[in-house]
Amino acid sequence: MYRVAVDVGGTFTDIVLQNEESGEIYVTKTPSTTKDQSIGLMKGIKKVCEECNVDISEIRSILHGTTVATNAVLEEKGAKVGLITTEGFEQILHVARSWTPAPISAWMGFHKPNPLADLIYTRGAKERMTAKGDVYLELDETDIRHKIIELYEAGVESLTISLLNSYANSSHEERIKEIAESINPDIPVTISNDILPEFREYERTLTTVMNAYVRPPMQRYLTNIEKKLLDEKIDSRISIVRSDGGLMSIPAASSRPVHTMLSGPSGGVTASAMIGIQTGFRNVISFDMGGTSTDVSLTYDGSPRVSRETKVGVFPVKSPSLEVVSIGAGGGSIAHVPLTGALRVGPQSAGSEPGPASYDRGGEEPAVTDANVVLGYLPPSLVGGEMKLNVDKAKDAVRKVADKLEIDIYKAAKGIYDIVNENMYGATRVVSVEKGYDPREFSLLALGGAGPLHANALGKLSGSFPVIIPPTAGVLSALGFLQSVIRNEYSKTFIYTLSQLDVSTVVSELKGLGEECDHWLNQEAVPEEQRTVKYEVDVRYYRQGHEIPIEVQLSKIEENGLELISNQFGDIHEQTYGFKMDAEVEIVNIRAVAVGKVNSPEIPVNEAGTEDASHAIMDPDHQAYFEERFVKTPIYDRALLQPANKVIGPAIISQKDSTTLVLPGYFAEVDQHMNLLIQEEV
Amino acid sequence: MVKIDSITVDIIENALKNIKEEMDVTLFRSAMSPVIREQHDCFPMITDPEGKMVVGNFGSHVPEVVNQFEEGIHEGDVIFVSDPYSTGGSISHINDWMIILPIFHQNEIVGYSSMFGHVMDVGGPVPSSMPVTATTIFGEGVRFPPVKLYDKGVLNESIIKIMKANTRTPLENYSDLMALVASCRTAEKRVKELCERFGTEKYLSALNALLERTNVMMRQLIQNFLPTEPVSFEDYIDDDGLGNGPFKMKLTVWREGDNAYFDWGGTDKQAPGPINYYLSEPMFKMFIGSFLISVFDPAINFNDGFYEVLHIKTPEGSLMRPKAPAALGCRTHALSRLFDVLSGALSINTPENSPAAGYGTSPYFIYSGYDDEGRYFNLMEVMYGGLPGRPIGDGIDGHSWWPAFVNIPTEYLETYYPLLVNSYKTGTDSGGAGLNRGGNCNEKLYTILAEGTVSIHDDRSIIQPWGINGGEPGSSSSKMLIKKDGTRIPLPSKVDNVEVEKGDQILFITGGSGGWGDPLEREVERVRLDVARGLVSVEKAAQSYGVLFTDHLEVDQAKTEETRAKMKLERGKLESFNFGNREKVVQ
Repeated sequence: MYRVAVDVGGTFTDIVLQNEESGEIYVTKTPSTTKDQSIGLMKGIKKVCEECNVDISEIRSILHGTTVATNAVLEEKGAKVGLITTEGFEQILHVARSWTPAPISAWMGFHKPNPLADLIYTRGAKERMTAKGDVYLELDETDIRHKIIELYEAGVESLTISLLNSYANSSHEERIKEIAESINPDIPVTISNDILPEFREYERTLTTVMNAYVRPPMQRYLTNIEKKLLDEKIDSRISIVRSDGGLMSIPAASSRPVHTMLSGPSGGVTASAMIGIQTGFRNVISFDMGGTSTDVSLTYDGSPRVSRETKVGVFPVKSPSLEVVSIGAGGGSIAHVPLTGALRVGPQSAGSEPGPASYDRGGEEPAVTDANVVLGYLPPSLVGGEMKLNVDKAKDAVRKVADKLEIDIYKAAKGIYDIVNENMYGATRVVSVEKGYDPREFSLLALGGAGPLHANALGKLSGSFPVIIPPTAGVLSALGFLQSVIRNEYSKTFIYTLSQLDVSTVVSELKGLGEECDHWLNQEAVPEEQRTVKYEVDVRYYRQGHEIPIEVQLSKIEENGLELISNQFGDIHEQTYGFKMDAEVEIVNIRAVAVGKVNSPEIPVNEAGTEDASHAIMDPDHQAYFEERFVKTPIYDRALLQPANKVIGPAIISQKDSTTLVLPGYFAEVDQHMNLLIQEEV
Repeated sequence: MVKIDSITVDIIENALKNIKEEMDVTLFRSAMSPVIREQHDCFPMITDPEGKMVVGNFGSHVPEVVNQFEEGIHEGDVIFVSDPYSTGGSISHINDWMIILPIFHQNEIVGYSSMFGHVMDVGGPVPSSMPVTATTIFGEGVRFPPVKLYDKGVLNESIIKIMKANTRTPLENYSDLMALVASCRTAEKRVKELCERFGTEKYLSALNALLERTNVMMRQLIQNFLPTEPVSFEDYIDDDGLGNGPFKMKLTVWREGDNAYFDWGGTDKQAPGPINYYLSEPMFKMFIGSFLISVFDPAINFNDGFYEVLHIKTPEGSLMRPKAPAALGCRTHALSRLFDVLSGALSINTPENSPAAGYGTSPYFIYSGYDDEGRYFNLMEVMYGGLPGRPIGDGIDGHSWWPAFVNIPTEYLETYYPLLVNSYKTGTDSGGAGLNRGGNCNEKLYTILAEGTVSIHDDRSIIQPWGINGGEPGSSSSKMLIKKDGTRIPLPSKVDNVEVEKGDQILFITGGSGGWGDPLEREVERVRLDVARGLVSVEKAAQSYGVLFTDHLEVDQAKTEETRAKMKLERGKLESFNFGNREKVVQ
């Protein structure tokens, strides 16, 4: 039997097929079908089956990363959402957090997007809870019934209920939901306490509204897939990849699509963690360089960092996701010289149409890809490439900035290359040094088509070695899906200082959340022996603004008391910020994380060869530009490289979906999983 | 100086920008004061060895401060200061605590990192330490002249003891102070890494090149956009909290060649109350640079490199250059009005490029006392209001004029302070009508749940924020104490220690903002949406926009066209500026 992972990207849909018995994998791509992603998905599955001579009925499970929810938000194509708030707070999304950008006066050019629920479809409920969860004002049911009818008559397709302090007591939210469903059972209702039972009303409301906003398009899409599978008589289980790298079933994804906002990028992070473990480098910074942006993430000791707030467009969404920092620099980023005479790269991008000048499709501005072409880093004809790159067009484009800077085109191209690396280096610092990690204790892993061209240079900046180039850098997200586990988390806001609490209360509250995890794992039919439930508490000093999540073991708290939590917190605070205080420690949120392991066969290893890599040389005389001159930089065919082969830099290693650059003074070695490991020559 | 290629300069510039961000992150995560942490009232900076700012948001103060140490500055020193008068006004009131840290690399000074943030309380008679009745700076709490918090790496414990003994919030202040130091140390570490990576000489040459770039750019902006004939603009602060006012702020602007002149002559004398603003020249130059850049070319990064081409004249003893020991605690009114005046002056010849006037201050709600469990609490909340109608579109409703500030979540307030927020929204019709509407004000109603005191800081409660290019002025601010028996007592915009009881309510309404452009030209559909969203009333739509509705909130097209035509005919020529009630008030 087989498993297949499908990652729908902006341009291509990546498909990875794995034989469950041997663990062997096969990779292919098909153009994405943006209007209905399920068409590309089905095409891709059929294509991979044909290419491998596998009967489509032999596919037992499909793991799917989707951008349907994200696109609905970015393209403003979600449902007409109605919002019910506490009376007096109808403008919660309109006022938002009142934020405008820096520096001073920058508000003059600030474009604030429209809220996902229009004020026209927002109503206030006459009710009020206190922060402690006591009823301050009883719910006026007649009034709210009338208001919901009004919203439904106005054509609202999806209803959200988010009341003040509902994290402390959700009974009013639940009652309003009952009323709404009694009025029209067909309109989906989302309540904030279900989606995010945590304090801070704007973020909770926004996340809930976003869920309601993307729910109808997501439901339509999932129904489409199920229908297509049925038409093809495919009887496989389909799982959707969550933003935190976990998997969920179709019914779960239909009711909580907000958890899929970073579905695709999470696969890349999971894959990076897996490759890190495989190669023995458990601390990994990975960067996924695409056409318009680069996503950077960090894995410490084999586990990616889970973040609880992410951004979709400008909206801060509170949904667990693998922490990814995204910057507007990619292969398509355009270089320009403004009034000050500085060389800037991005944030404008040539996109996929017309693309960089060297694609010869009408682009004239110098993109990062063009700089790589001019420097000889990106050979004009690629292995198995369907496209030839136009070197002259690339030179013409780069000349535009070179003339303004009064330097030659090679220096200018090298400048573009260096500056985009520096921008990405900035992003690697955000995930590492700003979080208290030293990047020199990490290896650097390149994903995406453009990543391997810049990986060695970026590793040099951050001091992260070895630089790892996996064999299938271009489809790594899909590969990561194969490693995904079934995952969900249950949390609640629980604000008490440690002195107000005793051990048994904390333990029983956590156990309560643990039971919810068990219940969910039952629903997802995870066998007993493949389950784990982990517990976390978010803590901070009393009234401090940011919480730090700490993993706790119930048995250890029972044994050593709550002091364990404050000691652990003090140490982390000191490590991260350089000081700790003799102040009260308080718990803000508590959480249980459910994990169901999925059987995932090992990818087989290859026989080792010798150091000599000369058999893989395709072009021994190729020239590329380093340190102000061109030097001989042979091109190798990656497909011909074998484990233990050693490629001495400067060198270019070419493969179907990407190109790796090895700098002078460095060498790349092939490991038994066919990863390239780049290290400094000593 | 070594010669350095322009691309290395770009790389170092990027690295410095990243360091600045990292300073903020370090501070936000470890500070205790909600004003710093939740509202981001803090300002990072990195300078060259002479103290010129290379990256930052607010302009350098380093030379004035370090020159006061006769023994010199050494590696391991950390300077702490909170006195406006000994820093040339670079910090503008004593709640702003500033850290300056010299950065040494291989025994050579390569620059300074500096950060200041607004701490919650520095003593004095009123919680939060900004009494609106102070008449000298001695009545505003404890000042720290420039002192070495660390001397060659050794912490001066005495300073900590003195600090803790003189504030209502010792633990929070200690944490904030250490967070400011941590933030500057972050910059120190990173700058040293840059020196290591590029070599000190190259690094320093790059800083010079960055300063030079901004200088060249600013000369061009001055020549392109400033008038050769002097132009003047005036605006007012309502009062000083002690019954005096209004106070005029007047700015005259012109250029000679590629140098620009900004003259505050004609500004009123300093106020008896604490609304004086000791305007630091480098800071004002920064504001001018920042404003010109935002209006004319937002992509450019700026620094101190352009200071020599700007010339500032500020009369001694005026509201903008008060003599010590004038009180300075409530300087945010003059500080933000300064931008309205600057914007007005620079737009006289080209009003179409400029925004209208906004809520024009930094309103504070301060509430303190003891909660049910006998714990002392002290809340200081920064409020926001209407952002001006702008060339690119409507003013934003109920948002922050101050960069990157955010509001405090109601659920946070209610968890930690004995109060309940009954409503939090923007005020219908408070933004001036315009082709691009002025932003609406904020309206927030609190119920007090513990006996205590409330202090309020606001302005624009009398004189309206002006409209531009035919836009109407915005509404004024107001405050109301609603006693639990229902009695309504209007409160002034500047008041200290109002006693409140459990069950009383405070209604806090900030200023709206002026509209931009002719309201009769506003697309009917935009007016309809504003009305449907409750941001503009049906009456205002008719009165200011000439848009009329049927019973079901559908636009009556025929009547609208007719009304608009008639209104246009009757109103005559539109003025560039509409000052609303100002003339009546000022006389």
